[in-house]
Amino acid sequence: MIAMWKYLLKKEFKQYLRDPGMPRMTLMFPFLIILVFPFAANMEVRNIKLAMVDTDHSEQSGLLMEKCASSGYFEIVDVTASPEKAQEMMDRGKIDAILTINAGFARMLEGSVPAEDAIPLGIKVNTVNGTRGSIGSQYLNACISSYIMSKKGGSIPGSAQIEVRETYLFNRFQDYKLFMIPALIVIAITMMCGFLPALNIVSEKEKGTIEQMNVTPVNKFAFIVCKMIPYVAVAFFMVFSCLLLAKIVFGYGCAGSLLDISIFTLAHIIVMASFGLLVSNYSENAQQAMFIIWFFSMVFMLISGIFTPVDSMPGWAKLVSYANPLTYYADAMRGIVLKGSSLADTWVDLVCLLGIGGLTTTWAVLSYHKTN
Amino acid sequence: MEANEKTVVIRGLVKRFGNFTAVDHISFEVSKGEIFGFLGANGAGKTTAIRILCGLSVPTSGEGTVAGFSIKNQQESIKKHIGYMSQKFSLYSDLKVWENIELFGGIYGLSDKQIKEKISSMLKALSMEDARDMFVRDMPLGWKQKLAFSIAMVHDPQIVFLDEPTGGVDPVTRRNFWEMIYEAASRGVTVFVTTHYMDEAEYCDRVSIMVDGRIEALGSPSQLKMQYGAVNMDEVFTKIAGRPGKQQ
Repeated sequence: MIAMWKYLLKKEFKQYLRDPGMPRMTLMFPFLIILVFPFAANMEVRNIKLAMVDTDHSEQSGLLMEKCASSGYFEIVDVTASPEKAQEMMDRGKIDAILTINAGFARMLEGSVPAEDAIPLGIKVNTVNGTRGSIGSQYLNACISSYIMSKKGGSIPGSAQIEVRETYLFNRFQDYKLFMIPALIVIAITMMCGFLPALNIVSEKEKGTIEQMNVTPVNKFAFIVCKMIPYVAVAFFMVFSCLLLAKIVFGYGCAGSLLDISIFTLAHIIVMASFGLLVSNYSENAQQAMFIIWFFSMVFMLISGIFTPVDSMPGWAKLVSYANPLTYYADAMRGIVLKGSSLADTWVDLVCLLGIGGLTTTWAVLSYHKTN
Repeated sequence: MEANEKTVVIRGLVKRFGNFTAVDHISFEVSKGEIFGFLGANGAGKTTAIRILCGLSVPTSGEGTVAGFSIKNQQESIKKHIGYMSQKFSLYSDLKVWENIELFGGIYGLSDKQIKEKISSMLKALSMEDARDMFVRDMPLGWKQKLAFSIAMVHDPQIVFLDEPTGGVDPVTRRNFWEMIYEAASRGVTVFVTTHYMDEAEYCDRVSIMVDGRIEALGSPSQLKMQYGAVNMDEVFTKIAGRPGKQQ
């Protein structure tokens, strides 16, 4: 019976390596994950398109404009004297924000206006994209405040006199890339060990080869495990090559132990592999399997805290995220890679992951039949 | 031919899918070394019956043994002693010819040495020595079917089930294929074959004709021809299967 494993493994590795796409994809993925995706999956708001309505026409208004432009967050699209024209540009979606500098701005800075008067400045922000709008207006506010403070040397009327000094732990430069890399690895492992084997099994169903296997004395456990092994090997290759690439390219090392990463990766592989087997058990053809996979991958990714924090989700979404294996794997990976968490900190994630894995594995094994 | 030794014994076999009865109380016996033709129109229930005999499907009711093992609860033992070739070609097309032989040899528990010998003897018997390293996907259909038959026999099974093995194959290859079947039967292998070619039905030792899940006729081709007053099997088949079927 042990000999059977050898031949099944040989078959799976040969088929994997002969696939026109798989080996290339395996090698490409780490590069995509480290060198391409972190720049695209970026929640930082930059290049906010700004129009200035300047009716002060003073040296000060010119300097403020320069200050905004040099902050790096704004792209000044137009400077005009007509508020209507700026509004029209916003309506057409050409700009994200309007900064209006009214007459009297320079005089206010000189101090010739009573401090109780409103500042002759106006901000208007396009919030069709809520995140971009609110973050953009914060940046714009910060920019103006710092300019006014530097000129007047004091506080802005109405603003509190509290100085906040921030210290950032773990991701000191608040680099979004560092935050996203562990999560992108999570997504890659999910695809690699859950969905690709599912499609592989379904394609054997379509071709009829699985029926030929079912009529042999092949052990179903051996058949499935041997099918998984190439994907598991590739998954580990991806995790470690991604971490290595991140170290080489960005200088971000893994703060925690690689053993802990391996343990979590293996636990996640068990969950995803059994999930993939479940999908293949319930689909007759690749099209069906693709639809199921597409549905679940959307849920897995969006309701897991990978892109948006679980804490800010409504109650029902939180419940979904608790049933989502990616929530735990991503949380643990981020903890280990960014903060150097150990199993003592992440054991809850591991227990949940193994719990889900136990459930899906039992279900998958029970629903897989050689004879029906 | 040791006509007394029965390798397949089936009594009152029934398979229902919901309200639909695919196989309706069929009973028959097949002897060692016999070529048993299993005929019937499309949808008559042949494939369902074969799947039960091969241990791929569980019967709803009825008794039976294949190679001495029960079709109800000893499917995995049956699978060790039978070969199966389905109407859908099902070798791995992205594996080479010798790799397919190696894989199935390995699954049936042959030793490395036995597998090596099988590969060379099988390729020689098939005159495919030059195709050893060919990918199965690149082979012509006739070759594929002959290879699939040989691989179904890689572990020298007692019984081999062939489900429409010659569908879409040219006449010369079909003749070759039947020579292989005769050769296997002469070695004492029971051959259980379904076909839609009535000239092939003439080659069988005995033939059963299924209509709507039941066996309507069973006997040697000459018996059946006499019984139905027909000149050939084609006429027999048309008389039996061509009658208006039972209304579902």
